[in-house]
Amino acid sequence: MGDGEWVSVAGFELALDRCYQPDTHMWVLRDEPGRVRIGMDALGIETSGTLAELSFVEVGTELTTGRPFGQLEAAKFVGPLTSPVSGRVLATNHEVAMDPGLAERDPYGAGWLIEAELDKTGGELSGLLAGRDEITAWFAARIADYRLKGVIAE
Amino acid sequence: MAETLRVIDFGPSSPLRSQTLWHAIAYGVSVGAPATLSFTRPAAPYVCLGYHRGLDELDADYCRENGLTILRRMVGGGPVYLDPDQLFFQICLPARAVPTGRSPALRMLLEPVVTAFCAGGVPAVLDDDLEICLGDAKICGHGAGQIEQAVVVCGNLIERFDHLRATGVLALADPDQRDQTLALMRRFVAPAPVDPTVFETAMIGAFAAALGFEAMPGELTRMERTQLHALDEQFTSESWLTGPGARPLVARRRLRARQVKVRARIWTLGATFDGARVAAGVVRGTIDQVRVHDPGLNGSTRQVERALTGIPVDSVGPVLAGFGEPGRRLASAFAAADGGRL
Repeated sequence: MGDGEWVSVAGFELALDRCYQPDTHMWVLRDEPGRVRIGMDALGIETSGTLAELSFVEVGTELTTGRPFGQLEAAKFVGPLTSPVSGRVLATNHEVAMDPGLAERDPYGAGWLIEAELDKTGGELSGLLAGRDEITAWFAARIADYRLKGVIAE
Repeated sequence: MAETLRVIDFGPSSPLRSQTLWHAIAYGVSVGAPATLSFTRPAAPYVCLGYHRGLDELDADYCRENGLTILRRMVGGGPVYLDPDQLFFQICLPARAVPTGRSPALRMLLEPVVTAFCAGGVPAVLDDDLEICLGDAKICGHGAGQIEQAVVVCGNLIERFDHLRATGVLALADPDQRDQTLALMRRFVAPAPVDPTVFETAMIGAFAAALGFEAMPGELTRMERTQLHALDEQFTSESWLTGPGARPLVARRRLRARQVKVRARIWTLGATFDGARVAAGVVRGTIDQVRVHDPGLNGSTRQVERALTGIPVDSVGPVLAGFGEPGRRLASAFAAADGGRL
């Protein structure tokens, strides 16, 4: 786990010290001004299945909100890791690329995916969910929806 | 009015086109072309790597000596041997039409395939690992992926299966692992005696019914044809073959044991540590067959192999601890394997 406050919502851990992109389950943690760390939340990891592979674009690559910054493979299904921000990749997590299980074991801490410098146009995080009430309500509703649809077990 | 399920049967195609045709469709569906079910049959044998897999998983000499082209696809799964005795199918839908979560999505897109097998007289089932099986044997290989805004699942009807070649293309640790891989492949991968025309017709009906779409014959759009030529170039480029996703994994795989998945929960490993060598076939977590070598075993090799056979692969440590220093070396070799993510 990361160092910040977190809660358990219907059996899934949720870190409260960061923002979330609700559709892709990517979290964004401000590191220092203009700089963020990005990862996938516990629910996103769970619905992906057992992670077999993770790969990332190279350091220095420009990021665009909604576009891939890498690929995830689980259950022989390769899909995009979608960027929640625009900017530039500063670092990729070599450890998690070598051991994708790290993202399952510690999604908010050692299982981070990339670090990025935010686009200077500003407002990059404005479309993301933030704050304890907003993110816990979204997370709980999403879990209930996934359980209703059979995406995750009861 | 029902949406259209475009159906395209490309017939026989070159190894390259047997991949690039359906990738081009994915790009087309991504920007508005209708959902598409396509078929093709490779005109020559070749080898195909999943998006993330390394060239070092293949026996390059064997592939070259047998004239096997090596291609890389954009969807997942391991290295596979493909030939004209396999009818390929691909179902491609806009991502918005596919359920959230990989398992529900794959189940939705594989169940019509099972229906097609059953229509052809083969009582196939989709098992808990999302593999299409007849008894214990996998009878259909598949891979899946999201390409831009389209989701595609591709698979094959295996009319005949060349187990020897399918094993031969793989880079394995030693002859023991090769023998074990071949034995498990013969046991757990099987062809399905289904008339391909019946299979194709049944699959079109099954997908149309499952999706609520109207199946209509179609052809590539202009955009898809343009994309096809670009993909032909991309797929034959050195950079693509080396693998955009595979580069960082080469080092990882070299650090670990050589592992080969035969089907879900069935795999072999070959590993060495400090002069000790193990090769084992693992069936649902249990060591099914094993060969060990260590210069310090002094005639107790068969005793070690008997002790290991039939035990869980993750509990070899206590058993091998009873064989002194050679046992500890063998345990370290086993420890390099992690079949859970294969």
